[in-house]
Amino acid sequence: MDNELGSIETEMKRGFLQLLVLVVLEKDAYGYAMVRAFRDLGYEVEENTLYPLLRRLEKRGLVQGKWELSEERPRKFYAVTPAGRDMRAGLLEIWKKQDEIIKYVIKENKHV
Amino acid sequence: MYKNLESYLEEISHFLSDPGEREEILSEIRSHIMEKIEHEGGPVTEGALEKVIATYGRPRQVAEKYLDGRPIIAPAFTRHLFRYASLLFAVHLVFIVFAVIFKKSFIVFPFLFVPRLGVIGAVLYMPMAFLADFGAVAMMLYFITRSGKEIKLPWPKFALDLDEVKATDAKTAAAQVATMVGAGIMLALTGLAVTLYIKYQTIFFISTNFSKFRPLFMPAPGRTLSLIVIIMLAAGTLGLLVKLFTRSRRIACWVDAGADAVALVLMGVVLRQPYANLLAVRIPPALHSWLHITLTVTLLFVALMIAVDLVANVVRLGRKRLGK
Repeated sequence: MDNELGSIETEMKRGFLQLLVLVVLEKDAYGYAMVRAFRDLGYEVEENTLYPLLRRLEKRGLVQGKWELSEERPRKFYAVTPAGRDMRAGLLEIWKKQDEIIKYVIKENKHV
Repeated sequence: MYKNLESYLEEISHFLSDPGEREEILSEIRSHIMEKIEHEGGPVTEGALEKVIATYGRPRQVAEKYLDGRPIIAPAFTRHLFRYASLLFAVHLVFIVFAVIFKKSFIVFPFLFVPRLGVIGAVLYMPMAFLADFGAVAMMLYFITRSGKEIKLPWPKFALDLDEVKATDAKTAAAQVATMVGAGIMLALTGLAVTLYIKYQTIFFISTNFSKFRPLFMPAPGRTLSLIVIIMLAAGTLGLLVKLFTRSRRIACWVDAGADAVALVLMGVVLRQPYANLLAVRIPPALHSWLHITLTVTLLFVALMIAVDLVANVVRLGRKRLGK
C-alpha cells in the first residue's frame, strides 16, 4: 500500500512540481536554493528530480537559465519567462478547477 | 579539479547520448553539487564531495532523469518488433533451407545474405540469422520512433499466441483420448521400425513377403534413411507422451519446437543423400528424372512446412515470455 501510494504521489508530484517551480521563479533563484525553499515549506524534492526538470522547462522556453560568472565559481540562476508566466496562469486555472471538482465530490459523498 | 567529482561526472557522461547537451548538463550537475556543499557550510574537499555524491544518485539514475524518458523504440511497437522479426526470420529460414539443399548462397539485398551451408553450419547459422533479423527490425522501429510521425504499421496475422489458444480446446477429454491413441500408434510404429531395422538393417521394402526380402534402397543409404525415420518416429512418440502427461501449453510448445528442429535437421540429411545408387530396384530410365524431381519437391515442401511450424512455435514461446 505504501509503495503504491508512493508511486501515485510521484506521478502527482510531477505536474505539481512544474507548477511550483513556475510560481517560485517569479524571483530569480539558483537550484539548491530552490531545494532548500521547498524543504522549508515541508515539500521534499530530490535534487536529481528538480534539476532535470529545470532543464526541460528551459528547453521549452518556460524558464530562462543564466550562468553567473562573476563569483568564485560559475553558478546557474533561473527565472520564469513571459511564456512561462502564460503557462503558469493556465496551469493554475487547471489546478483550481481540479481542486473544486475534488472538493465538490467529497462534499456530495458526505450526503450519501 | 576534484578527482572523485570528475570521475562521477565522467560516468554520467557515458549515459548521455546527445553530444550537444552533454557538456552543459555536466556543468550544471557540477555547479549543483558545489552549491550544496557551500550551502551546508563546509569547505569543498574530496571527503565532502564524496558524501554529497553518495546522496545525489547513481550515475545511470541521474543521467536517465535528463534523458526525458524517450524510449529507443516506442513501447507501442514492442509487439511489432517480435512479430516482424519472427516473420523476417521465417523468410530467412526458407533461404537457409534452400542454401543447404541447393548448395548455393543467396543474397536478397540489402536484408539477407545466406552463404552456402552444410546441415550443421545451417543449424549454427540460425541464431545469428535471428539476431540479424531482430536487429534490422529494431533499427527500422528506432527510426520510426525517432521520426515522431504517425506511421501505421501493418499487423500480419501469423501463429496464434499461446494465450489465444483456449485451454478448454486443448485439453478436452476427446483431445486427451486422441493424444493417447496417437501416442499408442506412434509407439507401435517406432517399435516395429526398430525391430525391422535390427533384423534387416533397413525398414524400406518393396515386398511384404519376408521370405523373399527385397529392400527398396541400397544398403548404405537404406541404413541412413531408416535411422532417420526411426529418430523422427521416436521424437514424435516422445512429444505425444510428454503432451499426454502435462497440462502446460508452454511445455507442449517447447516439445513441438524441439521435434520440429530435429525433423528439420534430419530432412536436411535426407535431402543431401545422393540420388545415384540410391534405389536397389530397377526403374525405367525415363522415370528416373521424374522420380528424382518428385521426391526432391515433396521433401522440400515437407521441410518448408516443418520450418514454418518451427518458426510459429518459437514465435509463440517468445511472445509468452515477453508477456510475463
